Amino acid sequence: MNKKRYAIVLDTRRCIDCKACTVACKAENNVPLGRQNHRNWVTEEEVRGTYPHLGQSFTPSQCMHCANAPCKKVCPTSATGRSPEGIITVDEKRCIGCKYCMTACPYDARYYNEEIEAVDKCTFCQHRILAGRVPACVDTCPTKVRVFGDINDPTSEASKLLAKHPHRVIKEGMGTKPHLFYLI
Amino acid sequence: MASFTKKPGELLWFSLLGLGMLVGAGTALMVLTKGHSHMYNVSREVPWGILISTYVFFVVSSTGLCLVSSLGHVFGIEQFELIGRRAILLSIITLLTGFGTIAMEINHPIRMAIYVMLTPNLESPIWWMGTLYGIYLVLLIGEFFFLMKNHHKGALTMGILGFIAAVTAHSNLGGVFGLLEARPYWHGSFLPLYFILSALVSGGALISIIVYYNYQFRKIPLPAKYPHFLTTLAKLQALFLMILIFFIIWKIIPGLYGRPPEKYEATMAILTGPLAFNFWFFEVLIGMIAPVMILFTKKFVTPFGVMVAGALCTVGIFFMRYDLVVAGQIVPMREDTDGIINGLVSYAPSLAEYGIVLGALATCMFLYTLAEKVFDLEMKGH
Amino acid sequence: MSRLLEKNLSRRRFMGLSSCALATVAVGSQIKVLKSLAMTGEVGELTNLPSKDVFTSCGMCVNKCGVIARVQNGIIQKLDPNPNFFIKSRGMLCARGNAGTKVVYDPDRLKYPLIRVEGSKRGEGKFRRATWEEALDLVAKNMNDIAAKYSRASVMFASSEGTFSEHFFLQLAECFGTPNTVRHPTLCLSSNIQGFGATYGTNPTPDVLNADYVIMSGANRSEALITPDSIDMLTGDGGKRKLIYLDPRFTKTAAKADEWYPIKPGTDMAFILAMINVIVTEGLYDSAFIEEQTVGFDKLVPHIDPYTPEWAAGECEIPAEDIRRIAREFANAAPKAVYYQGRRSSFMANDTQMRRAMAILNTIVGNWDTKGGMIPNSCIKLTNHDYIAPWYDEDIPGRLEGDAITYISEKDGSWPVLRDRALAADPYPIKGMMVYKQNVLGSVPNRAKSIQLIEQMDFVCTIDITMSDTAWYSDVVLPEATYLERNDPLECLGGIVPVVAFRQPCIEPMFESKESLWIIQQIAKRLSDEIYAEFDFTMEEHIHHQVKKNPQILEDLKTKGVYFENTSPVYGKSKGTRLKTKSGKIEIYSEKYAENGHDPLPVYSSPVTVPPNRYRLLIGRHAFFTHGTTANNPYLHDIMPENTLWLNVLEAQKMGLTEGQMVKVRSAVGEQTLKLEITPKIRPDSVYMAHGFGVLSKAQTNIYGKGGSDAALIDEKYCPISGNVALHETFVEVLPA
Ligand SMILES: Nc1nc2c(c(=O)[nH]1)N[C@H]1C(S)=C(S)[C@@H](COP(=O)(O)OP(=O)(O)OC[C@H]3O[C@@H](n4cnc5c(=O)[nH]c(N)nc54)[C@H](O)[C@@H]3O)O[C@H]1N2
Ligand SMILES: Nc1nc2c(c(=O)[nH]1)N[C@H]1C(S)=C(S)[C@@H](COP(=O)(O)OP(=O)(O)OC[C@H]3O[C@@H](n4cnc5c(=O)[nH]c(N)nc54)[C@H](O)[C@@H]3O)O[C@H]1N2
Ligand code: SF4
Ligand code: SF4
Ligand code: SF4
Ligand code: SF4
Ligand code: SF4
Ligand SMILES: [Mo]
Repeated sequence: MNKKRYAIVLDTRRCIDCKACTVACKAENNVPLGRQNHRNWVTEEEVRGTYPHLGQSFTPSQCMHCANAPCKKVCPTSATGRSPEGIITVDEKRCIGCKYCMTACPYDARYYNEEIEAVDKCTFCQHRILAGRVPACVDTCPTKVRVFGDINDPTSEASKLLAKHPHRVIKEGMGTKPHLFYLI
Repeated sequence: MASFTKKPGELLWFSLLGLGMLVGAGTALMVLTKGHSHMYNVSREVPWGILISTYVFFVVSSTGLCLVSSLGHVFGIEQFELIGRRAILLSIITLLTGFGTIAMEINHPIRMAIYVMLTPNLESPIWWMGTLYGIYLVLLIGEFFFLMKNHHKGALTMGILGFIAAVTAHSNLGGVFGLLEARPYWHGSFLPLYFILSALVSGGALISIIVYYNYQFRKIPLPAKYPHFLTTLAKLQALFLMILIFFIIWKIIPGLYGRPPEKYEATMAILTGPLAFNFWFFEVLIGMIAPVMILFTKKFVTPFGVMVAGALCTVGIFFMRYDLVVAGQIVPMREDTDGIINGLVSYAPSLAEYGIVLGALATCMFLYTLAEKVFDLEMKGH
Repeated sequence: MSRLLEKNLSRRRFMGLSSCALATVAVGSQIKVLKSLAMTGEVGELTNLPSKDVFTSCGMCVNKCGVIARVQNGIIQKLDPNPNFFIKSRGMLCARGNAGTKVVYDPDRLKYPLIRVEGSKRGEGKFRRATWEEALDLVAKNMNDIAAKYSRASVMFASSEGTFSEHFFLQLAECFGTPNTVRHPTLCLSSNIQGFGATYGTNPTPDVLNADYVIMSGANRSEALITPDSIDMLTGDGGKRKLIYLDPRFTKTAAKADEWYPIKPGTDMAFILAMINVIVTEGLYDSAFIEEQTVGFDKLVPHIDPYTPEWAAGECEIPAEDIRRIAREFANAAPKAVYYQGRRSSFMANDTQMRRAMAILNTIVGNWDTKGGMIPNSCIKLTNHDYIAPWYDEDIPGRLEGDAITYISEKDGSWPVLRDRALAADPYPIKGMMVYKQNVLGSVPNRAKSIQLIEQMDFVCTIDITMSDTAWYSDVVLPEATYLERNDPLECLGGIVPVVAFRQPCIEPMFESKESLWIIQQIAKRLSDEIYAEFDFTMEEHIHHQVKKNPQILEDLKTKGVYFENTSPVYGKSKGTRLKTKSGKIEIYSEKYAENGHDPLPVYSSPVTVPPNRYRLLIGRHAFFTHGTTANNPYLHDIMPENTLWLNVLEAQKMGLTEGQMVKVRSAVGEQTLKLEITPKIRPDSVYMAHGFGVLSKAQTNIYGKGGSDAALIDEKYCPISGNVALHETFVEVLPA
């Protein structure tokens, strides 16, 4: 029985850019109001082609829970940590607000949360997982773009998708070993 | 002990600084009550602003003063012994004001004090920054103590250790930026080296200012050895500046050559973009060209001339720090970020941020001029 | 520095206008919201109530998706999708559904009954807090006065679906004795209902999940969410699915479609007739089915003869070969192929006939009531509560606009016509307006005209949950409890696989908001004993009455949040039964239209050509908002703070306009100023703006003064057959502001 490694696999071809995931996350995790304050986001990619031959894709994203996480390396007080399942966490009490992690993250996945007075980011909805539920953004998605699961368990939905389809990660060159996998 | 001489000039000087400190204190209070987010313009995309760059400016100055003065009592270049006490004292003061500035930038300085001890992360350059500068501060104070006591042995040991601490701490500060792979403009071994070098420039510049301040402005009779010292300092300073220019050029070329992603955009932001005026006018013209011209012109190499050169350098360096900090973050990590103006995110300090900076500068100068009155900083002996 | 000032400004504005100091910190958690409310004494201190999960259904739009409300300490922390509701909502909640918590905990929501300050003008927004007693007395007094002074018909009732409680309001209208109720359908889908109804005797639902070939025209399912279609649209079985999408705009549905055609607005009928032409002339139709279950095919054959793809290409600007190919692919995929009619059909004045053409096209390929085709809706029977409207001796005139429309719905009326008649007092004046869950000033096109309508009223009362523009212009504003704070009766959500939904309170109604039934009973009580007698029941009794034939329904709702009888479609129920048409069969040729002087077969007429230097104003849904009313929701405001005017790149270049600059948009009836968005995503002859901005109500503090209102610009026409308004017949000029 090897240990868990949580990840999210995304099929962006199904994304209709409805932003339900963004609002769900804000509501679930008490993310303060304001456009700057968000744990996840959906990028509306450039429109391809010229009228009337157009194409566009939408890329939902969030903290990549990197296996080699620069944000964790740079954190002076170890406020940023990693759970046994690979979730990159921030301990509010220990966060001094130096924002070093924000400059270190290549994905702009972190923001300073005025309400809890600490840096905040996606937690894979750890509290929901413990309660036996899937992350809010995964749960609410109309077209079920995101699939959350333990990729160390070959029988998990996520593992199966990765086995079946070619996939990529964002800014692979950074060597951060992100754990958000995008099906191609 | 020099006595308080009631000079109108001095009164004005102190009241101006007092005013600056008041502004700083007032702003600090507002920031603490209203919360950073309502007072500062740092954002999700640009989390580090002018307070960080000002902090860097101060600690670089501190290091510089320490290094330059060590030329005297560590490397035994006679003339430099003169400014030993002053240099070390100002080095302490700049370091402290630096700490003050960053304390206003970090949201929870107290938490920091606690958790850097309880749960240190030895992988974190900022952890090392705090620790090393801490040690460095202690050594500086020790060195100052022995200098005041004319305890040469002690001063020497402290000086050597201080020198080492200064170089480690300061190159590590370069590392704080240089180790961020996410920020190509900063990433690499360049910044640690560059920080050490530019420290020398800062140090030289500040020394030429305090020398002038004491012997011209405060009308203390200028001892015979000073003119000689000044010409040496001028030569040295000119040399430092030339090397600095060479460094800057080699910072830019790799940023353009082959258009490395993100590094190129950041470099262009400096050369032709939002930071261009800062760069060409303040950094290049005021900070480098003008001083070099002065220092290479025989008839200008007077206490006044050297001081002017130093002052110009100092201004230039302040902007170098600002531009360096901003340029590193100006390229967004995501294309679709809010408020992108032709591919770049924008940052402009808020009134509050300016207020804190003003306060810090005022405090620094105030403490120094006060110290000049409280301590006897003339080097005895020899 | 400028940003610093901005911050302070925005904060001051918010605090100035909303009754509690919430915006000083950007709060996310409801606890903080409530704490600051408690400080202002508007709500009690927080109590430690046990946590619970409450089943209910979303009230943010037509779909009523299943919701599980996570309630802790008496606070609704989060709304999650109810997986048991899969049949209808596929276990999702959209952005709006998730924003529901902020409907309840929104400082801008209605909290207390309000009465317009005596002497102030309507629209000034000068209100004073009143007791329910005073407000309700005032409502009843005015209604009775108007009835006495003019007639009972001179009080109109405007309302929309959505709350499951609307029928109480309509019952009040009937019991009060006015024929003049006016509902949303003539702003929305009544031409669809009419066009398909005239053909099938009902408006069927396309079996999107099982269709292999779907043509969506004017149905933006990725943004105009209709469950389960919006989800099923992307599913396709075995990837065989092909999605053809016709829209003058490159919408998010276009981004998902296999083929997108920027059809010329108002020419869909040409495209459809040409498809019919190909299918008929190439003999690709289902002759057996046509033989058996339809009438009038023989008349169709000569009728469509002139409508060749080559002809159509000139009208709709879709290449003839594509039309031909699509027609063939469509017929080959049939019966698992649908021409998807969409929901809102308030496009053009000839819309009913265009929808008829859609229905006929679907008919001839024989996709009626078979897997992957057009399925007649089914519903789950609930016992409805019946009542007898009191008898009044005085003779009350009939519906104001009754004679203006051929097939006017008794309850729905026709908004555009009714408004014109009322303004002309033709044949009699309308002096009182009761509004329930409808935003007249935002939803009825030509806002200036609606304001005139209100201005000539003696009395206007609005029952709402937010200070909508209509509420802002009312004399009395009554706060209903939001959908998360109240009981709502059971309702069957009809469709291919019907389900029953309901609402139960997740928390006690906040402030002084009340359930609609209570409000209506209180008005009834004050109107007359006869009327009140018809409302002599509680919500509990009403609900139990609804399920008296099958108590299991309520059981399941309480335990699963939904009731259903089948999990998958039952096809062919209509086989062998008489359809609700004159002939009992599917009417390709409509006898009744002929009798009423309408074209019995759809006859094409070109839309008015866009005048030089003008653009056709298009409207359409935005995924983040529901109509005119959620743009102020704090969460949704975060994802889109204002609307923009879409203008094609080439046109912008011609006029030398730049991205993001402010532009004036002027039509015959209004002018609005908003930001310009230069995009290739729209036809050069059209412009578009999202609905719901440019509001009049200053109490919508997040969006007041932001963006422009489409309602203020639309120069409405209407369909003479269905009475549906036409929203795309407006031409505007665009000028730098
Ligand atoms: N310009 C323009 N006009 C349009 C449209 C458009 O896109 N553009 N769309 C058309 C279409 S398709 C339709 S269906 C109509 C819809 O038009 P409306 O039926 O007016 O729908 P909304 O605009 O959502 O307004 C609903 C009102 O009910 C209030 N409300 C919400 N929940 C509750 C509740 O629980 N109780 C009470 N009492 N009130 C509540 C809201 O605050 C809002 O004021 O608009 C049509 N008109
Ligand atoms: N997110 C969200 N979803 C909703 C609603 C909401 O308010 N918000 N409202 C619900 C309601 S009440 C309704 S009625 C439905 C409406 O949903 P739909 O039936 O999809 O109607 P719209 O989105 O109003 O318009 C559909 C598209 O028609 C295009 N169009 C305009 N003119 C023409 C034309 O001449 N030909 C063709 N082929 N296309 C044209 C417009 O560009 C628009 O993209 O959505 C429902 N779902
Ligand atoms: S909820 Fe799903 S479909 Fe909607 S934007 Fe997020 S990922 Fe895309
Ligand atoms: S995405 Fe950013 S925040 Fe998340 S783990 Fe990687 S570096 Fe850290
Ligand atoms: S801001 Fe907080 S989490 Fe980020 S590095 Fe500093 S202490 Fe660690
Ligand atoms: S997993 Fe949870 S925290 Fe992370 S983005 Fe999704 S909802 Fe937000
Ligand atoms: S579609 Fe969205 S707004 Fe409409 S009912 Fe479902 S969740 Fe609510
Ligand atoms: Mo609608």
